[in-house]
Amino acid sequence: MAAPILSVRNLTVGAADQNKPAILHDVGFDLASHEILGIFAETGGGKSVLSRAIANWLPATLVFRSGEIQFRGNNILSGDGHSLIKPGREIGYIGSRPQSSLDPTMPVGAQLVGKLRSVRPELSSRQAKEKILNLLAEVRIPSPAERFHEYSSKYSGGMMQRAMIVDALSTDPDVVIADNITQPLDVTIALQIVRLLRQTAEHHGVSVLFLSSSFPTLSQVADRLLILRQGRVVDGGTVDALVESPTNDYTRSVIDQIPRIWTGTSLPATKAHGLDEPLMAVRDVRRTYHVRRPGHFNKYNAVQAVRGVTFDVMTRDNIGIVGESGCGKSTLTRLLAALERPEVGEILFGRQELSALSNRELTTARQRFQLLMQDPYNSLPPRMTVGRMIEESLRIHGLASGADLRRRVERAMEDVGLPKSIYNHLPNALGTGDRQRISVARALVLEPQLLILDETVSALDQTEQNRLLALFARLQEEKNLTYIFVSHDLAMVRRVCTRIAVMYLGEIVEIADNQDLFYAARHPYTKALLSAVPTIENNPYDSGKLLLEGEPPSPINIPPGCSFASRCPFVMPVCREKVPFLTSVSQASAAACHLVSGETEPAA
Amino acid sequence: MATVVESEAKSSPLRERSVGYRIVAEAARSTGFCVGFAIILAMVLASAIYPEVSSLSATKISVRERFLPPLFFGEDWSFVHPLGTDQLGRDMLLRCLVGLRYSLFIGITTTLLMFCIGCTLGLVAGYKRGLWDMTIMRITDAQLSLPMIILAISILGVSSPTVTTIIIVLGLSGWPLYARVARGLATTERSKEYVLGLKVLGAGDVRTMLLFIAPNILPAIAFVAVLDVARMMIFEAILGFLGLGIQPPTPSFGTIIADSRKYLINAWWIATMPGLFLTLVLVSINLMGSALEKARNRIYGSAF
Repeated sequence: MAAPILSVRNLTVGAADQNKPAILHDVGFDLASHEILGIFAETGGGKSVLSRAIANWLPATLVFRSGEIQFRGNNILSGDGHSLIKPGREIGYIGSRPQSSLDPTMPVGAQLVGKLRSVRPELSSRQAKEKILNLLAEVRIPSPAERFHEYSSKYSGGMMQRAMIVDALSTDPDVVIADNITQPLDVTIALQIVRLLRQTAEHHGVSVLFLSSSFPTLSQVADRLLILRQGRVVDGGTVDALVESPTNDYTRSVIDQIPRIWTGTSLPATKAHGLDEPLMAVRDVRRTYHVRRPGHFNKYNAVQAVRGVTFDVMTRDNIGIVGESGCGKSTLTRLLAALERPEVGEILFGRQELSALSNRELTTARQRFQLLMQDPYNSLPPRMTVGRMIEESLRIHGLASGADLRRRVERAMEDVGLPKSIYNHLPNALGTGDRQRISVARALVLEPQLLILDETVSALDQTEQNRLLALFARLQEEKNLTYIFVSHDLAMVRRVCTRIAVMYLGEIVEIADNQDLFYAARHPYTKALLSAVPTIENNPYDSGKLLLEGEPPSPINIPPGCSFASRCPFVMPVCREKVPFLTSVSQASAAACHLVSGETEPAA
Repeated sequence: MATVVESEAKSSPLRERSVGYRIVAEAARSTGFCVGFAIILAMVLASAIYPEVSSLSATKISVRERFLPPLFFGEDWSFVHPLGTDQLGRDMLLRCLVGLRYSLFIGITTTLLMFCIGCTLGLVAGYKRGLWDMTIMRITDAQLSLPMIILAISILGVSSPTVTTIIIVLGLSGWPLYARVARGLATTERSKEYVLGLKVLGAGDVRTMLLFIAPNILPAIAFVAVLDVARMMIFEAILGFLGLGIQPPTPSFGTIIADSRKYLINAWWIATMPGLFLTLVLVSINLMGSALEKARNRIYGSAF
């Protein structure tokens, strides 16, 4: 093996004050040229500090305490603890938040050129522009010449991340550091980016240091992995070796906690369908937003967020609604929680049609269905004690007062696993999981029948997520609850839902029982989604054949025919003309695709 | 990064003090606030106690004692009239303190009135949006387009100027600023997720506004309102100067200054004393107000 391009030895980084504990302890590894090395660490494990230490971009409060970084054979740490490398020149850096890396007041192209020329002043502005345009085309940004002059607000998350890859590669670095770059992206887009990074790295002969807190994502990218725990390298090896026979306890616990989709998952009990009345029935619900067209005073764009969604929720039959950003799940959630009224169609809860209720009746009805939101920091009222927050639910409906109020709140706290002792505390010292428990208690104290969970556990780490899902399962047993899980996380939905609906561009494209959906998906979009799920198992869906190109069309201009036609790998002429309808495939599953409904002959 | 987490954990005691308390405590640490507070306190106490215990009268004319200079100035000064007497032989200290009473009373009450009207309207406009917002903000704009002093002159010129009418006129013309600020804050607060969460729980608009949004936005505005007390005191003096303030013989800063203009050469103290009182009070209010505002920025800047 040739000499490594980057070699880190005994690197210790911490606050300038030697008495404070270091953040990185004795970290050491080698990065060969043309290699992609993955580094796994949980949140707070020292990932960002490591990546910034190598890129010489440490925050001012941190210093190099000891160790050396050899870059192309030279030690780039000087004796007095400073890095000699010029940030951004030989080592490129891609961060996890492209929105904050791009200046919203400048066209993207101009920014990229400006950054490139500040690092490589020898390039003329014309050369720099040419170079950026070539790279933009290479990362497959559609019509790069026009996109060059656009502002970052017009870029989608995936495109911004592509622009950041261009930014990192433009200076012809030898090493690129990718710090959690797929974190904010949807699975299909994340997989595109990961593949793109691999291809371009290979093409430019760049070594990549890929840091992530998601083990399955790393297994998609890297051949060799390092496991970092609390700033120390605890394990390392090839992905296969780590998964097959982990020797380190920490590695084993990390791998054990990765949710499995196709192997050894215990399924939630399925209930027979069509026997009793649905708890909630959604009938051809539509919602369109009218947004003022940019540059016009009185012209509006119709954003079709939800376009005719129909499904039933049976008692104790958990349903999952999955889809990527912009597919209309949030709007559907708002409709289900009666925060907005559908324009067309109806939502029946029990026998009541929600949009026909008066405000007063709706308030009463709300006791029976509750929404849990994603972010437990913003969704709880500020400056209020834990007990008071939970009391509020009962006070609003005038259900209890005095000692009874206190007793019911304490019981709810006990149900969700919060200690009674924090009744009069502010939630400042509580972690994300405990805060989420408060919002569960807030809903639970009203004794609802239906809980709608809007990405409720996705902000939590794996351990806490497992605990909360167990809590939800227990509460379901005890209180006869029904859940609607709205999520982008297929692995989570796989564990908790009996039925799953897949949304694309405001429509349900496939709805099926859990087992059916994961093993016998019919719709090409479902297959593509499943193929892109980061997993360490053998994925039955081949992402090579199914990976989607491009991004979903805008909900303002939905093309005629099947809305998925523009990205579908199996597209036929009929798809661009006729809209496919949800067609039953078996008793409990249906898909909206011409391949399923058997309409293969081209329309005249 | 670990260090940040540690210090946060230490600084959050089991039951944290309210933000308002923390702001005042932070402000009280600055010298400016302490000096301002000490002067204000002394002034308020003096104006509350001295006129009650003094044997002199603020309105009784005593021609023999007219134009007495303040202590240690000129020849016939006396300890009975430490700040001298005016053109009708009335004690200046007493007149200034009584004037200060009215001035402070009008300043504080007017600011409260403005605060209440402005914040209520702004809160409703910012939370309800739509037609409410439209109507309230257009009224606000209309109100803002009328200069305060012209409005006050026209109303007080027609009706008789009493303390109540002065307060109402000043209060009515000053609220739009508060409405604007409260609306802006309420709009931001409304878009936060916890408001949606309350709606899901079934909370009504009034409940959300009064119990959740108001406590979050009003303290911030209240600290700025301290500065407005000073502004309103100046307006009261201006009205008095124009003869539209509190009517003689009751002393007020504006009338004293207006009446003394004729004697500025040979009895400078008559115009100077009320000006001095006004300056002292305004400076100390501004000292306190700016200390509070700085403290507020520090607290909000670090905690939110």
